[in-house]
Amino acid sequence: MSAAPSPSGSVLHRIAAVLPARYLAQKIALTALLLWGVATLIFVLVEVSPGTAADKFLNPDIPAEQRAMIIAKYGLDQPVIIRYAQMMGRYATGDLGVSLVQERPVADIIATALPNTLLLSLVTLCVIFPVGIALGVFQAVRQGTAVDSVASVGALFFYSMPAFWLALVLQLIAPSLGLPISGMNDAVMVDFMSPVERALDTARHLVLPGLAMGVASAAGVARYMRSSLLEVIRQDYIRTARAKGLSERVVIGRHALRNALLPIITLVGLSLPFLVGGSILVETVFAWPGMGKLIIDAIQQQDTPLIIACFLLFAVVVALGNLLADAAYAVVDPRIRHQ
Amino acid sequence: MRRALAPLLSLALAACGGSSAPAPADAGGSGPRGTLVVASQSDIGNLNPITYETAFDANILSNVIMPLFDSTLDCALTLTPALATSWSFDEAGTTLTVSLRDDLTWSDGVKVTAHDVAYTYELVRNPAVASPRLGFVQHFTPDSPRVIDDHTVAFSFTKAYDRTTMMSHANLGPLPKHAFEGADPGALRGHPVSMKPLASGPWILTTHERGSRWIVEPNTAYSGDAALKPSLRRVVFRVIPEYATRLTELRNGGVDLMEGINIEDVDDLRANHPDIRIASRGYRTSDYIGWNSTNPLFADKEVRKALTLAIDIDAMIGKLLTGNDGTRYAKKATGTVTPELCKAYDDSLAALPHDPDQARAILAAKGWADTNGDGILDKDGTPFRFTLATNAGNKRRADASILVQADLRKVGIDVQLSVLESNSFFETLRKREYEAALAGWAAALFVDPSAIWGADQPGKRNEFNFTAYNNPAAQALIDRGLAEPDPDKALPIWKELQQVIYEDQPYTFLWWREELAGIHNRFENTEITPQNLLDDLHAWSVPADKVKYAR
Repeated sequence: MSAAPSPSGSVLHRIAAVLPARYLAQKIALTALLLWGVATLIFVLVEVSPGTAADKFLNPDIPAEQRAMIIAKYGLDQPVIIRYAQMMGRYATGDLGVSLVQERPVADIIATALPNTLLLSLVTLCVIFPVGIALGVFQAVRQGTAVDSVASVGALFFYSMPAFWLALVLQLIAPSLGLPISGMNDAVMVDFMSPVERALDTARHLVLPGLAMGVASAAGVARYMRSSLLEVIRQDYIRTARAKGLSERVVIGRHALRNALLPIITLVGLSLPFLVGGSILVETVFAWPGMGKLIIDAIQQQDTPLIIACFLLFAVVVALGNLLADAAYAVVDPRIRHQ
Repeated sequence: MRRALAPLLSLALAACGGSSAPAPADAGGSGPRGTLVVASQSDIGNLNPITYETAFDANILSNVIMPLFDSTLDCALTLTPALATSWSFDEAGTTLTVSLRDDLTWSDGVKVTAHDVAYTYELVRNPAVASPRLGFVQHFTPDSPRVIDDHTVAFSFTKAYDRTTMMSHANLGPLPKHAFEGADPGALRGHPVSMKPLASGPWILTTHERGSRWIVEPNTAYSGDAALKPSLRRVVFRVIPEYATRLTELRNGGVDLMEGINIEDVDDLRANHPDIRIASRGYRTSDYIGWNSTNPLFADKEVRKALTLAIDIDAMIGKLLTGNDGTRYAKKATGTVTPELCKAYDDSLAALPHDPDQARAILAAKGWADTNGDGILDKDGTPFRFTLATNAGNKRRADASILVQADLRKVGIDVQLSVLESNSFFETLRKREYEAALAGWAAALFVDPSAIWGADQPGKRNEFNFTAYNNPAAQALIDRGLAEPDPDKALPIWKELQQVIYEDQPYTFLWWREELAGIHNRFENTEITPQNLLDDLHAWSVPADKVKYAR
């Protein structure tokens, strides 16, 4: 029984059918619980790890009474449970607190790093999925041919390649391609560029980190897409469609692809946290000033409010990603309804 | 010498092509010209003289804010006039009166005065600020410093001590009082003027993009000594966390100055990149093995001496800190006073040789013998076995640990290796919860051995004295040396102290290591000192025909 292609007007209805109010309320309650758990877990981890933000004042030159006052400044004279309660009280009012190291609001600090990471990961995701899907479909319709084998081996090769190694290789060949190897812009000339020149300059700087981050993922998407499409093609309704005399393009493009995309949607949903977390490794190697570096520094400096805020952000995005994946299922597959 | 080399260098540059065609808009003029691009591993934190933390913060601050005294390191720390025009100590040696320039302004046009100096110390004392420089005021009287008039300030101390150190303690900041008034002392690091300071020095911070780059340019409002006026038009600092990326950028010309270059890469740069010059920043850092004397294994100084005799430090330098051309970038250490402080450094002190036989003899005399034939010395049924810890992320120390393990195995000592995350490692050292540790110190620029070698006080452990070192003779020398106001008269005391400590072998001192920087050849007058990388930034220049960037 093939699903009738639905007019786009019903998309919202489908989403509403999958995500009724009760379900949404449940999700929100679960997310709140998740955030509480994340904040608590990170708090405990920072508590039990050695050292504190006040350690830099251990210098024996500092008189004991002044040292005590500094420890009080960081709240470290309070029992753990009091500090925990104070922190939770702050979060309940939506206040993310102030960085211990920079003494600026945590929200401001994240606001400078997040857009950079979003730019890199959005552009990368926008390339990973179309390329991966196209490659997977290409392979599936040529299953068993030499082209398929070569592409499979190639995809496996890139899929298993360590991103760090790929990044270094890319940096080695970059000069011959005329591509920059670090930063978001030409650090010297960017101040003298027009907005268009600046955008082009940023685009050039995106190429290598984008490749380092995306190649393995695109290869992974291709492998999922290939096997998923192959499975769908074997089903009865595809045979029916072919028997009706539909062209192969319509069979694959309209009937098979839509069902084969379901697992890919799960992948998209799972990729969302990576959108805000960025790749710590790629950001570090290519000196991309994003969230990855921010978190590493925060952990090394034991900047508890900043660490917790970063992980809360990730948790929110994970929850959102799940929700969006649910909604996307509804759009792609009308059979799915909320149970 | 430098003049004779210059034509050769420019030839080498021409041969390299110089593909980025020099089209300097400002090459002909007499004003500042050229751009220097500096690679930095991390971003600057805050640029407030009383709260900054990183070396790059200090680098920028020393160029942006005019200190009271300029410091140069030439065998000893020497202080020369900067904001201060003259100074004098009273007869007791406990009050330092300083006259300040009356012609210096902040970049917003307000005059720099003695009130700024006094206000700076008011903030340092405020515990809500949590200044890492609180120790500077430990010997200040409560009302110090006092404003005598707009351009005179007096620092009073509760006791006289080394005058260079006293003056260094008076050399904080200053901060512009008018810009900080009403500021929350608990959030000083995040204050707008801490992030973009008003300048009183020859340079000013014009741009700071967090995590990415910052730029300093000549301060057009600078009204001080004309000799310090910058020759360069812009200095762009790029944050590049990864070492390999910084190095590739240096090779490709994306950055012009990079510090902390590894020795294996120095060989490559020397061979393949004639446009990059390697400069040494001198013996700035040392590595050592600390023997925790609270552990019975290491309580006896003769045993510690045997351990040092058993370790072939010269061979380690040959393997870890020597270039392919045979250049050694390290010098065997005999203490925690850097050879750069050559007046105080005791160069007559002979390091113990590598002598495993003597090591075995000492250990045998102390009752250590291999009674069960397992190849490991034992005594009263306990084998001579311990764990040598070091911090993660330092390949040199990891390699050194392996070599130490091999050397000690040859005299029958079994060493287990352990690598700890840096924060954890530091905590085990402080709490003395380790057996032996391979660690390091950065050189102090004036001699103050009390932090590392001072004995615990009743009820107060000296936390940087990781080995629980306690020798009354050494403590007496430390007290005498610190109480001596005349730095020259303290020199023999410091030399004697180095001998006493070396005799005790609380550490096996390994080496002083040269820190290396790569600099692009188009820059001239690039004097690099063991102090700050960019102490003499005003002198750095580019000849008109070598200006690389059009803007």
